[in-house]
Amino acid sequence: MAKTALLFLWPCAFSLVPVYAFEACPECDLLLNPAEPEHGDKAHCPRCGYLLQRPHKHSIERTLALSLAGLILIVPANLLPMIAVKLLGNSQDGNLWSGVLALFNEEMWAVAVLVMLSSVLLPLVNMGLAFVISLHLFIKKPSNYLIFWMRWYQHLNEWAMIEVYALGIIVAWVKLADDADIRFGFGLYAFVGLLIVNAMLANELDCYTFWQRISQLSKK
Amino acid sequence: MKLIKTALAQGFIRCHDCGYLIKSKVQCLCPVCKSSVSARRHQNLHLTTALIISSFCLYIPANIYPIMAVTELGVTARHTIAGGIMVLIQKDMVPIAILVLVASILVPLMKLLGITLLLLCVHYRWQVNVHLFTRMYRIIAFVGRWSMLDIFMISILVGLVNMGGVANVIAGPAATAFAAVVVLTMFAAKSFDPRLIWDHQLT
Ligand SMILES: [Zn+2]
Repeated sequence: MAKTALLFLWPCAFSLVPVYAFEACPECDLLLNPAEPEHGDKAHCPRCGYLLQRPHKHSIERTLALSLAGLILIVPANLLPMIAVKLLGNSQDGNLWSGVLALFNEEMWAVAVLVMLSSVLLPLVNMGLAFVISLHLFIKKPSNYLIFWMRWYQHLNEWAMIEVYALGIIVAWVKLADDADIRFGFGLYAFVGLLIVNAMLANELDCYTFWQRISQLSKK
Repeated sequence: MKLIKTALAQGFIRCHDCGYLIKSKVQCLCPVCKSSVSARRHQNLHLTTALIISSFCLYIPANIYPIMAVTELGVTARHTIAGGIMVLIQKDMVPIAILVLVASILVPLMKLLGITLLLLCVHYRWQVNVHLFTRMYRIIAFVGRWSMLDIFMISILVGLVNMGGVANVIAGPAATAFAAVVVLTMFAAKSFDPRLIWDHQLT
């Protein structure tokens, strides 16, 4: 009787062990005892100073809300005109896509594809991934795709370059401001909103916390 | 004598994607995230070297050929990256000129030289100031994407100023080469394993 109880308890006890009994620094491979920083604190590697984790309160809920807001803002940021230029009597307005299309028309397809991926497609994909991941973690619904989504989120994150694009808008605006009359459209306001949401999301989504939740969820 | 224990010395491998520690010394699949895990990405050194050499080769046409051609009232002017910066200085827009100079000339050059230095350091097992080299790796990894600034700026100008003979901006052949340099150096920085810097240090 006692033996069956023990056998019955064994898998449960196994899953109660903290998921990461040890951890290692990704940049210098120092073996570490898992730090358990308070919410809002940061854990750094004692040898090389790498930022290991920075858990936030309600990280998943906030990621869910922010990614939803981002997905909503992406629609007007892509469809509405961002900047209108008036130059020597001719006027023209452009949104995120006009540069991509013009580059395609000039047969600069490699640059066009790169700009399309980094300014339009990958920000959308990343927001979508953050949304589905945090939604599954929020409603505690395991999915076989969770690990797959999370890995892709981490790998694609660096290629979504909204903030670099924003700096590009500023430089282009300064270059044109001398000769042309420039007006900003609603698309730009949506884009700035998207920029802020994106920065907050990157700050809120702690990969360490997310991986822990994912492996806890898939063990249940 | 090494006082500090690395995970590898203790027989653990850290999964690159999810951070799970696997009790193994050889290449295997991570039980949490199912990605392929190896102790060090040694074989990637060849990949990083190849990417850096290609970027060096592409860096030359990126700076020699015009990156865009501006037509105003029928007069066409072609600018290289450096020429565009000179135009900005002539128009008294020095802060923006410095920004473009940093993002499109200094950062790619610093990345190319920096990753070369990291590769040499790992290959020849130099005894270096590890903290300095780790910081350099982090700066290179962080700053890489900001070089896309020039490409984005050109794509915005090309999309906006498209009025036939009156005013027109066209991207030049250097744009493709420059974009390739940015992408290849980003991949090079990503494929480099910073743990290799620490491995050969005796202190
Ligand atoms: Zn470390």
